[in-house]
Amino acid sequence: MAEEKKKDYEIKVDVKNLNFYYGKQHLLKNVNLFFKKNSVCTLLGPSGCGKSTFLRTLNRMNDYTEGARLTGEVIIDGQNIYGKSVDVVELRRNIGMVFQNPNPFPKSIFENVAFGLRIHGIKNKEFIVERVEKCLKYAGLYDEVKDKLAKPAFSLSGGQQQRLCIARAIATNPSILLMDEPTAYLDPVSTSIILDLITTFKKYYTIIIVSHNIQQAGRISDYSGFFLDGELIEFDEAGNFFLRPKDKRTENFITSRY
Amino acid sequence: MKISIPILNLKYKDDLYRLILSLFVLGIIAIFFVSVLVIAAYSYPAVIRYGAPFLWVKTWNPPMEIFGALTFIAGTLFVTFLALIFSVPLALGIGVFLQEYCPFFLRSFLTVIIEMLAGIPSVVFGVWGVLTIVPWLRESVEPFFNAYFSGIPFLKVEENIGYGILAASIVVAFMILPIIASITKDSLSAVPDLAKDGALAMGATRLDVIKNVSLPYALSGIYGGIVLGFGRAVGETIAVVLLIGNQAIVPKSLFSVGYTISSVLANTFTFAVISPIYASAEVELALILLVISLLVNIIGRNILNSVIGGRLSRSQFGGG
Ligand SMILES: Nc1ncnc2c1ncn2[C@@H]1O[C@H](COP(=O)(O)OP(=O)(O)OP(=O)(O)O)[C@@H](O)[C@H]1O
Ligand SMILES: [Mg+2]
Repeated sequence: MAEEKKKDYEIKVDVKNLNFYYGKQHLLKNVNLFFKKNSVCTLLGPSGCGKSTFLRTLNRMNDYTEGARLTGEVIIDGQNIYGKSVDVVELRRNIGMVFQNPNPFPKSIFENVAFGLRIHGIKNKEFIVERVEKCLKYAGLYDEVKDKLAKPAFSLSGGQQQRLCIARAIATNPSILLMDEPTAYLDPVSTSIILDLITTFKKYYTIIIVSHNIQQAGRISDYSGFFLDGELIEFDEAGNFFLRPKDKRTENFITSRY
Repeated sequence: MKISIPILNLKYKDDLYRLILSLFVLGIIAIFFVSVLVIAAYSYPAVIRYGAPFLWVKTWNPPMEIFGALTFIAGTLFVTFLALIFSVPLALGIGVFLQEYCPFFLRSFLTVIIEMLAGIPSVVFGVWGVLTIVPWLRESVEPFFNAYFSGIPFLKVEENIGYGILAASIVVAFMILPIIASITKDSLSAVPDLAKDGALAMGATRLDVIKNVSLPYALSGIYGGIVLGFGRAVGETIAVVLLIGNQAIVPKSLFSVGYTISSVLANTFTFAVISPIYASAEVELALILLVISLLVNIIGRNILNSVIGGRLSRSQFGGG
């Protein structure tokens, strides 16, 4: 663990002794790691190892899940988000999330991106229009949709929908961005737009990405973690992680032996 | 997993199933068309004799052989729409509560209760209405409206007997409430979690999620529930016979007595058969009811398809 490099003032998210249970299944086993401000961290691991589950603990998406149970702490900006006084709605407003499958709202393309602004009580029309355009441009979608912003989001292709969801997630300018395989649906051109976006955006955000693409992860990460069966096997700076993994299992995985 | 039986090769089995299923489908279509034909054939003499004015003539006088259906059409539509106005908002509220807010242990219990309500025979609802709704209207509601709203024609209390359009509508509303509520609940429960998660993750409150995601998604199903409720209300017979007052007048007020197509048929069709033209006029009433139901179904279906067409046909949700 990169414990010696951990300085409190640069930590955005600190996860301590996190265990997550779903019914009798123990899905996350005593996970400890941290995410630095303005860094990109990728989480790797075989299918079913708990990456999505972990990501969802960071903005309490499992709150309404029947049978879900959690112990440990997730400290964001110095506050344990599982503490009693935390307002979940407020918490999530500060955290953008892009899901593994595109999930636009049953609304127009424009309204999908404007949704976050509207529920945050922003009424200024010009501001909303400007912000929506800007975010669609960031997500590399604007040119494809600029003439049909009023069309239903479901009329877009899967990859376009996913980029719409990315635009939607950054519209409210969150300080943390959680992305669950954001490029799984995308063609190489859109993928590289999104990867560039991620690299640009780490100036403003703390970005945590689940990825299945080791090459991509190597390209964009500052930190990387490897999950196996709900356990965090290795977590380190990207340079060490990809070039000098300490654990044999990590090495096997990044050299694609899983 | 396909299980192949060597003797029956798959192609042959498929054809056999297709044949049997086609026969069933043809049977259903045949039954439908034969009943429409029979109704049409029996109403033919009245259609010829009274023509289009049958639809807007108010008089229903069997001895003089003067027949117009307006009073019954008006009564039917009045009761049906009032019942929908009463029950739809309440049913949507119940459906949303059950699916989105109700504690888990209560949900299954309440769902069973509501499904049981949907299965109660309509005559029981009718009797219940006579015993509770009618006295309540007569002793509390009508005197109140008489005292404060007698100037408004639509709210004028004419007879203060408790029976009438309002009594019938309230009871029919209770009858269709569980249908619409349980379909609303089911439609909401079919909304993919992934879609709701998207909104929750943006910092939406549960109410935001319901308004912006769940209801739009469930709309087609809810709409279907309302059409089903309409179908039940428009054809509801026995509860209405017991409550509406059974007088062939065009209702002018909420508290008027009236008559509906199905209740006049239930009350008089057995005597009507003694006179061919009387019988034919009544069968024409049945035909009108059939046309109303079909129209509502077709129009509803079209609205529905146009709504879902752009909305959901391209949605692609998987696990995750
Ligand atoms: N709602 C749920 N109900 C039952 N099991 C669940 C649920 N959510 C997650 N699991 C289980 O938790 C485990 C981890 O799932 P998770 O989705 O976190 O995996 P993942 O690492 O994201 O996999 P993938 O790379 O395929 O997306 C799986 O074994 C899965 O069966
Ligand atoms: Mg996953």
